[in-house]
Amino acid sequence: MERSELPAWFVAKRGRPPLQVGRWVPLALVSPPVLVLLAIVVYPTVWMFYHSLQDTNLMRLFQENWSYVGFANFGTVFGSDRFWNAAGQMLQYLLFGACLQVLLGTVLALALYELVRNNVARTALLVLLVLPMMLPPSIVGVLWKFLLTPSNGAINQALLNLGVIDEHIEWFNRGLALWSIIIADIWNWTALPLLIVFSGRVSLPPAVFEAARVDGAGNWQVMRRLTLPMLKEIIAIAFIIRFMDAFKFVDLVFVMTSGGPAQSSELPAYIAYQRGVREFEIGEAAAYSLIIFVCSAVIITLFLQYLKRVVKAQGIA
Amino acid sequence: MKSPGGERAVRALLWAMLLAWLVVTLFPLYWQLITALKTTEETNRTVPTFWPEEMRFGNFAAVFTESSNFDALVSSFIIATGNTLLSLLLGTMAGYAFARFPRHAGGENLAFWILSNRMFPPVAVIIPMFFLFDATPWGTDSHLSLIILYLVFNMPLATWLMMVFFRDAPRELEEAAYLDGYTPLQAFCKVTLPLVIPGMISVAMLCWIFAWNEYLFANLFVGTEVRTFTIVIPTFTHGSQTLWNLQMAFSLIAVIPPVALFILLRRYMVRGLSLGVVKG
Repeated sequence: MERSELPAWFVAKRGRPPLQVGRWVPLALVSPPVLVLLAIVVYPTVWMFYHSLQDTNLMRLFQENWSYVGFANFGTVFGSDRFWNAAGQMLQYLLFGACLQVLLGTVLALALYELVRNNVARTALLVLLVLPMMLPPSIVGVLWKFLLTPSNGAINQALLNLGVIDEHIEWFNRGLALWSIIIADIWNWTALPLLIVFSGRVSLPPAVFEAARVDGAGNWQVMRRLTLPMLKEIIAIAFIIRFMDAFKFVDLVFVMTSGGPAQSSELPAYIAYQRGVREFEIGEAAAYSLIIFVCSAVIITLFLQYLKRVVKAQGIA
Repeated sequence: MKSPGGERAVRALLWAMLLAWLVVTLFPLYWQLITALKTTEETNRTVPTFWPEEMRFGNFAAVFTESSNFDALVSSFIIATGNTLLSLLLGTMAGYAFARFPRHAGGENLAFWILSNRMFPPVAVIIPMFFLFDATPWGTDSHLSLIILYLVFNMPLATWLMMVFFRDAPRELEEAAYLDGYTPLQAFCKVTLPLVIPGMISVAMLCWIFAWNEYLFANLFVGTEVRTFTIVIPTFTHGSQTLWNLQMAFSLIAVIPPVALFILLRRYMVRGLSLGVVKG
């Protein structure tokens, strides 16, 4: 008998686990984290929403005489070159940072799985490849700033020795500052999609692949018809996680360039911080925050929908 | 199988790529290590050397001649450990409730809402957070402020992962314990909790790494009374001069704990980083 053919009351009753404890116990267990999050996340979020519609700056905030200005802050943000400049740079980061990391990580993970058959060697290589991810972002920033130092940095010297370039590259000028950050970020985070896809590949059932071999499928066919389709969801998760992280990405901007020179490596999240914390335009910073908030909310909702489906399919939930 | 020559070329190409990426990954770490061993004079040359002419192992000790550097590591340790314990406590309680009494604990949507807090960019709400903590008795510039703040990303992670681990632990064992006359608390402590201890350890290590590595909050909230190593290292100067060798030595010391933890728990790492979707 199909489950859906059972009467609704029966399914509801069967699905409900017997509650061995008082009704208040589950609520009491769940409420501390909820209260903490209400205080330190929801309250600040509401505050931000409110002030995005006010003409608040630091002076007005302390004198408590800010006033409602409608969507003027958003007008200022959308009317400024600084925002569109940063939005373009964000796109550049998403495309060449986040996307490239997932593509590169996927290829490397599958190459590692297919080429290295010895378990010890495989684990050793995996650990080495994933090391950068464990480093604190501020150390990654310092390290890459040092490596990319134009005058006597290691990268320029290595490229000179290899004959790739004839003169020192100015890694932190207007044209290259953001690229330098992206390079450091690729080094830092390609490991995450690599690790996720590799583990996904390891957990695929070997029997399917043996059957395909018996049927005479070639390596390329197995990869295209079996491996990639079966890893589709895992790769999608790697993509979405990197996209969500992209909206949080400010550490390397802080440490490596402080957004400069001439705002050429600013991302929206960095401006939100800068306008509020350093330039005291809190209303405008709130408008920036809200824009970031909405963008990440869209991606997060997408991810949670996806997560629900995958988690259900895996029978975890 | 159709064209063995073509396949061999693809294999060779993939090998080359893998090894090239290995070099790209390891070179900065190698550079960090050899710079940490160089003399100050050698780090400032116009043509950098790829192997130190003189090994200065004393650089690692020299980092701590300034006691504030040691204090920074201690502060980071206090904050990371305090936050981990708190995240784990709250996460275990809530995770258990979500796993065993989903409907009475607010249901799936509440669990997903808690998780979503981990994903939102904290930089968007950092200003009101600052004013909020500024109004508390302990202020912003204290260990406690960061211990609480880091709950934003670690507590949702702990809650979610503990929920996944509790769901994997068979509830039949717990029900058997009820039949043997255990109270719910006894059943939890003596039957279920031991089953999820390995999971708890991996969650603790993950939380600890995230808190240890955090930069953004620390950069704004602390700096005078309390300083974490993540904000000390980027501003590591001696007078007007940047002592690259000491800076690299300091950062090497600071990355040892997360790297060591990662090597220990790599099996669980994936599960944590992909929020329990991929079985590690």
